[in-house]
Amino acid sequence: MNQPEIIVQLQQGDEQAFKKLVDEWQNMVYNTTLGIVQNENDADDITQEVFIQVYKSVSSFKGNSTFSTWLYRITVNKSLDYLKRIKTKNRFAFIQSLFGSNHYNHPAEFVHPGVLLENKERATALFKALQQLPNNQRIAFTLHKLEAQKYEDVAEIMNISLPATESLIARAKNNLRKKLRDYYLQNIV
Amino acid sequence: MNKNEKIEKLIEQSLNSFDNTARATPKPYLLTRLNTRLQSNNSGWDTALRFLSKPIVAAVCICLVVTVNAVVLVNNINVNKSTADEQYSDEEYNTSVAVLNELENIEP
Repeated sequence: MNQPEIIVQLQQGDEQAFKKLVDEWQNMVYNTTLGIVQNENDADDITQEVFIQVYKSVSSFKGNSTFSTWLYRITVNKSLDYLKRIKTKNRFAFIQSLFGSNHYNHPAEFVHPGVLLENKERATALFKALQQLPNNQRIAFTLHKLEAQKYEDVAEIMNISLPATESLIARAKNNLRKKLRDYYLQNIV
Repeated sequence: MNKNEKIEKLIEQSLNSFDNTARATPKPYLLTRLNTRLQSNNSGWDTALRFLSKPIVAAVCICLVVTVNAVVLVNNINVNKSTADEQYSDEEYNTSVAVLNELENIEP
């Protein structure tokens, strides 16, 4: 079944079409989210939110972009919303702790389950450095490297021009080099 | 290999460590969890609670309650003032009656 057919069926409220859509795209949504938020439970939660959003707003999908671009945009936006929520929660963590509620603790070291065994240690350092990047650089780098998206596709997903995307990823790499240098100076040498 | 060269090598290895990474997969039964969530999202109470728990809605509700309280308070003060004025004029009236009574009962 090709994409537009699924969309048309979904717009008509076909439950089977929704099942097929989830089966086909769940790994892409989950992997992208996991790369951005670096927490498996939260990535699972956000993946559900993405598909609920798709289910509710599929009628507004006009086909101006490809379905995958539309889905990537929803995934990135939901992940960014999550990062904002975490930032706000941590900002008020002290006040919340006074009332006994626990604030969010981000795992110190995130290990992506799909990374090759020989790359695990280096990838962990890279994920740690990624956390310190501005959100737009983080998103562009994750889409390009972890989701293997071309620069053109990243540009379309992020709704920016191709030169802007190239510049964004170049800046992300430069910043990552700096963060990784600091990390290895402290931890290895 | 000196220290800087070693670090540079590690950095390059790290930047390329996402190469050939397999896609992570979500926990099993995602569709079942999704359906459960969709059904719970459809209940009216959930929608109402979600709407009310939005910060902007909560702030507007608080402002509304404070404004209504302030209006009621100001109205009460005005009502009390006018009641006090009425009582004063009543007393004046009573006093005048008393004076009249006193005038009538004046003994020569």
